[in-house]
Amino acid sequence: MTGVLMSRTDRWFEDFAVGEHFTSGPRAVTAEDLAAFTRLSGDDHPLHAGPDAMLQGPFGIAVAMGLMQSLDIHGDAVQGLLDTRWTYRAPIRVGDVLRLELTIVRTRRTRGGTRGVVTRLMRLVGDDGATRQEGTTAALVAARTDGPDDARRAFGTPGWARLVVADLDPAFAETLATWDGTIGLRCDDDEVHLRVYRGQVIDVSPRVPHGATFTVAADARTWLELVESADNPFMRLAMIGRFTVSGDGYEYLRLTSALHQLVDAARRAS
Amino acid sequence: MTGYLTVGGALAFVEDHRVPGAPDAPAVLCLHTAGQSGAQWRHVAPELAAAGYRVVVPDLPGHGRSEPAPSGPVDDLGAYAAWLLALVDTMGLERFSVAGCSIGGKIALDLAVRASARLDAVVAMAADAWTGGRPSVKGLRRELADVAAPSRSDRTELGTYAVLGRAVDPARAALIATMHRREDPVVSNSDLIGWASHDLREQLGAITCPLHLVVGADDLWLDAERVRWTASRVAGARCTVLDGVGHYPMEEMPGFAAVLDGWLRELTADREAA
Repeated sequence: MTGVLMSRTDRWFEDFAVGEHFTSGPRAVTAEDLAAFTRLSGDDHPLHAGPDAMLQGPFGIAVAMGLMQSLDIHGDAVQGLLDTRWTYRAPIRVGDVLRLELTIVRTRRTRGGTRGVVTRLMRLVGDDGATRQEGTTAALVAARTDGPDDARRAFGTPGWARLVVADLDPAFAETLATWDGTIGLRCDDDEVHLRVYRGQVIDVSPRVPHGATFTVAADARTWLELVESADNPFMRLAMIGRFTVSGDGYEYLRLTSALHQLVDAARRAS
Repeated sequence: MTGYLTVGGALAFVEDHRVPGAPDAPAVLCLHTAGQSGAQWRHVAPELAAAGYRVVVPDLPGHGRSEPAPSGPVDDLGAYAAWLLALVDTMGLERFSVAGCSIGGKIALDLAVRASARLDAVVAMAADAWTGGRPSVKGLRRELADVAAPSRSDRTELGTYAVLGRAVDPARAALIATMHRREDPVVSNSDLIGWASHDLREQLGAITCPLHLVVGADDLWLDAERVRWTASRVAGARCTVLDGVGHYPMEEMPGFAAVLDGWLRELTADREAA
């Protein structure tokens, strides 16, 4: 095993759990940062000069990655960065004091089985509490074992959906006693179909033959909030537009109560 | 007396809680939310009467025990305001205060625009001058047809939970949400069309009566900034954001009658100071 060679942390792929949260110390943004980043990037647009200058957007990503190192959650098991999906919410200026809020939102073993992808939700927050930049980054991390992995929060996967189905309240079958269709549940790029016939879930699969009647989709942060909130927040999150629905919108509305019960089951299973 | 009155060509059901031995007790008109009825004030009204107010709780046309408006479901909150002025005229009330919530809050604001000279005080809860056109009137019109509005009762019940404040006791929340299922979807949707399309922004300057805008911090339907903006456009208006409270303060807050009594006293003092 390569474990004996690891020098910093012992965090392997299996050591990351969806929902884990970390907060960094403060990091002040200085005039020297602005000058150095301008020199490095060559981006000397007038927006990045003068007393009210904004730091270049990617400066935030660079600082977020640096603050992540200070959390000491990644050692030699990390093999590389796979992607960065980022949004700029508000300008970063000289004098800002930034903190990194980091949450593990997805862990998924690769097909080969010897490593996995760990997705981190990262939020750069100013000392006024307002988010400056946020997004997700995915890293490839070596695995210690061959699995199996915990599926309780592997949202949008068949393994997860089977755990949710096992935790359904009997009321679900009564609610859908006259229904024949397929519920699609999607978390970012992961989608799973629950084939329902007369109240029974008769199949759980990445895709059923006729496709989903409708699919409810949200990002990993929303799914995490669904299972971690004190009360089932499905309707509240739906009302503020945190889900998108594709397929038959009428059947989606018709199944409001059933979806609420599905989320209850996902919360129990998590 | 509590019972039926003819207003606008149809029977209106009105609770009238009198103060024994005080025929001139200050009157308060209490207005319910979209699709609901005066039952929303059932715990508040007797306590408010005990505090010395004549409490008048109407069911708007098509709601609760009131007959529908002869012209059909009402989708203009101004029509409700005009109906309420006809109601108080029928009852012989020259001066009164208004407390309303949601569409009732916005109707209270509309009454302040139309009839400030007759109003001692207005408490407008869960309402702003203009929603920004939300929710979508197009979507609401589509759902006027039953065939386009599946699982309406479930959505009303769960949608009520979603806008209740975090401070509400679970048993109380369950009672509120269950009671809210009692609605005629066409009437509710028409109310919401009125809610989303009624724009009072340009008329706020006409308000000269004391006004208190109240919004729950957990109310998903309202943006507290729009409520503050509304207050900023009315001279002397008060604005309160209630922590832990959602869209239905009079149903959510235990002892709400005492809270409302306090607000009405403040507004009356404002008026006297002016």
